[in-house]
Amino acid sequence: MGDSPPQKHRILMVSDFYYPNFGGVENHAYYLSQCLLKLGHKVVVVTHAYGNRSGVRYMTGSLKVYYVPWRPFCNQSTFPTLYGILPIIRTILIRERITVVHGHQTFSTLCHDALLHARIMGYKVVFTDHSLHGFGDVGSIHMNKVMQFTLADVSQAICVSHTSKENTVLRSGLAPEKVFVIPNAVDTAMFKPALERPGGLEIVVVVISRLVYRKGADLLVEVIPEVCRLHPNVRFIIGGDGPKRVRLEEMREKHSLFDRVELLGAVPHAQVRSVLISGHIFLTCSLTEAFCMAILEAASCGLLTVSTRVGGVPEVLPDDMIVLAEPDPGDIVQAIQKAIYMLPEIDPQVMHNRMRELYNWRDVAKRTEIVYDRASKCPNQSLLESLSRYLSCGAWAGKLFSLVMILGFLFWHLLELWQPADDIEEVPDVIFSHNCDEEMLQKS
Amino acid sequence: MNPSLVNNSSPTHPRWRKVAYGGMQPGYDDNHTDESFLEGMVMNASVVKRDMLKVMLDSVSISEYLCIVALVVLVWTCTLASTIDENSLLLIDVGLLVSGFLILLFTQEMLSLSLLFHYFLNISFFITVLYVLAPIYQTLTRSISSDSIWAVAASLLILHLFLHDYSESTVKAPGVLKNPALTSCISVNASVVASVFIASRLPSRLHVFAIMLFSLQVFLFAPLVTYCIKKYSFRLHLCFSISLMAMTLSFVYTLHRLLFVLLLSLLVFVNVVCPYWLIRIQEYKFEINGPWDEAKLCFDITD
Repeated sequence: MGDSPPQKHRILMVSDFYYPNFGGVENHAYYLSQCLLKLGHKVVVVTHAYGNRSGVRYMTGSLKVYYVPWRPFCNQSTFPTLYGILPIIRTILIRERITVVHGHQTFSTLCHDALLHARIMGYKVVFTDHSLHGFGDVGSIHMNKVMQFTLADVSQAICVSHTSKENTVLRSGLAPEKVFVIPNAVDTAMFKPALERPGGLEIVVVVISRLVYRKGADLLVEVIPEVCRLHPNVRFIIGGDGPKRVRLEEMREKHSLFDRVELLGAVPHAQVRSVLISGHIFLTCSLTEAFCMAILEAASCGLLTVSTRVGGVPEVLPDDMIVLAEPDPGDIVQAIQKAIYMLPEIDPQVMHNRMRELYNWRDVAKRTEIVYDRASKCPNQSLLESLSRYLSCGAWAGKLFSLVMILGFLFWHLLELWQPADDIEEVPDVIFSHNCDEEMLQKS
Repeated sequence: MNPSLVNNSSPTHPRWRKVAYGGMQPGYDDNHTDESFLEGMVMNASVVKRDMLKVMLDSVSISEYLCIVALVVLVWTCTLASTIDENSLLLIDVGLLVSGFLILLFTQEMLSLSLLFHYFLNISFFITVLYVLAPIYQTLTRSISSDSIWAVAASLLILHLFLHDYSESTVKAPGVLKNPALTSCISVNASVVASVFIASRLPSRLHVFAIMLFSLQVFLFAPLVTYCIKKYSFRLHLCFSISLMAMTLSFVYTLHRLLFVLLLSLLVFVNVVCPYWLIRIQEYKFEINGPWDEAKLCFDITD
């Protein structure tokens, strides 16, 4: 063919959100790292300290994680210090001989800081956005400006859905060609259907989400009594906790549904599957979603999904695996009725097998590898070329951003004088697979 | 012939779909940008085309309330200067009370006798408590200098005007279900506190009682009365507002020329300049909506 052999990247994943914390971003970064390691790349993760977990840890497959001693101050996000993280990031980048820095999640200040400093030092930078944001409220306006700053000079960006790509392009001003759409995936080995579907005339609807406004808990309060009235054989299992739980308890009392609506409270992630396989239909009433991992997990367990048509949800599943409704109680009730009529044709095992083909972390890793290849081919840019891009961010913001970059550049050169790169010891590569092979040979 | 034609046809790519499942779509990269990109984006969805005359008519409510507050300040000033004695002030109080009740009676069809009796009972109780508390108000700020009193009262009145809810009234008309906003409550409280400060500078308890009753009547019930008039008939609302403005301007003119010019400028600014400014500035509005926005619930959350 004449193509060069595939390049082996050395990737630094940066985010405030990582194990032992649980969530969509954490899952994405972990599974992506594991599959990239299997493809032959080297992956190192940088996150902040979680309680006593501080320092360097090794996870499955020799995945190295730096728990930087940086305390979280708000919702597991570290305090933005602009230059505070530069020395340690620089040391890690040199020690591990990193070629690509991959940041995750808009609300991760560690991610934004690391992306900035990596660009100052001339590394290739990739960013993955996991959320949708509006344009009208105070928080979003400021967050979009920060994002415009940190992504002004990014090599490539990844979004988890096409709706998320549109949102990110508008918010950050990135060229659409720079933004790739690579969805999340689901660990289908962890989410298998039950050997036997719960039988009988009863139909169980499962809801697993945080009980907050954005997840549509108020819609649930309106929908559940109506569905219970129309279908006497329907029962609800609700997993999750939050401020709106009181409203659900009041709804149960008001309509005398104690035997038909079960509130489980917070469900540990390890028990999510056992809750899912006890039901037939999975219901989600979110008001906004970039990509809904819970829908994938439910479909992998063989459940038919009913969801609101918001954000990136219409892109997640084929039409015969999901019933979409407008975020309106009447429409959701009708969608649940439609799902109940569709239930006899659903085979959980067939649905599970389809999910294994539709969503696959190995496929996600291969597509991310293509993004890294594109990033590596981007030409290097000097500081002056970058400054012109920062200046175009706004009349006042552009000058401020350029000043921040210039100061960062000077600080980096100061660090170079104080501790030259040649003096930093590089970490040797550990080859676990060879050791395993040798051990096997010795045993045999 | 047929097999060769079939072989000659070039393989066509399947159309690109806006879906996330199924891996990379054949023939397209992950950064493929279709012509349907940003198809769902809506710009300036909530922009309302505004008419100059309508905005000016809507701003009459603000001018009306400005004149009401100016009248209150006028009465305060005359009372402090001993131009109005306590007997005249009590007559004004009774006149305001009766006219307010009459206006409510005319504009509210569903006002019943039991509701009227309920109002009368509440008003009587209120007046009694105020009379009992008048000596406390009289001596409340004896140790504070007058300059501080004037400054604080003026600041509180300005705060009242800025936080006032001009579209509705804080004291609800019968049948209205919504609760007042926080800023509206702060506004009413600011005016009441300003009234207390002014009342504490009067010589006798009857003076204090009269001025407090006057102030509370105006600040608490004037928005309700004007709201009922506006709901009853917009033309009557306009007539009432214009006559109120004329009366206020004439009174201020007899008192102080400079204040007259100031008030007239303020009214012109509110009624003419601000509506024009709003319409001119509307063209700079830039609002983006799309499928990424958080969905709005179509029902009220009743907790």
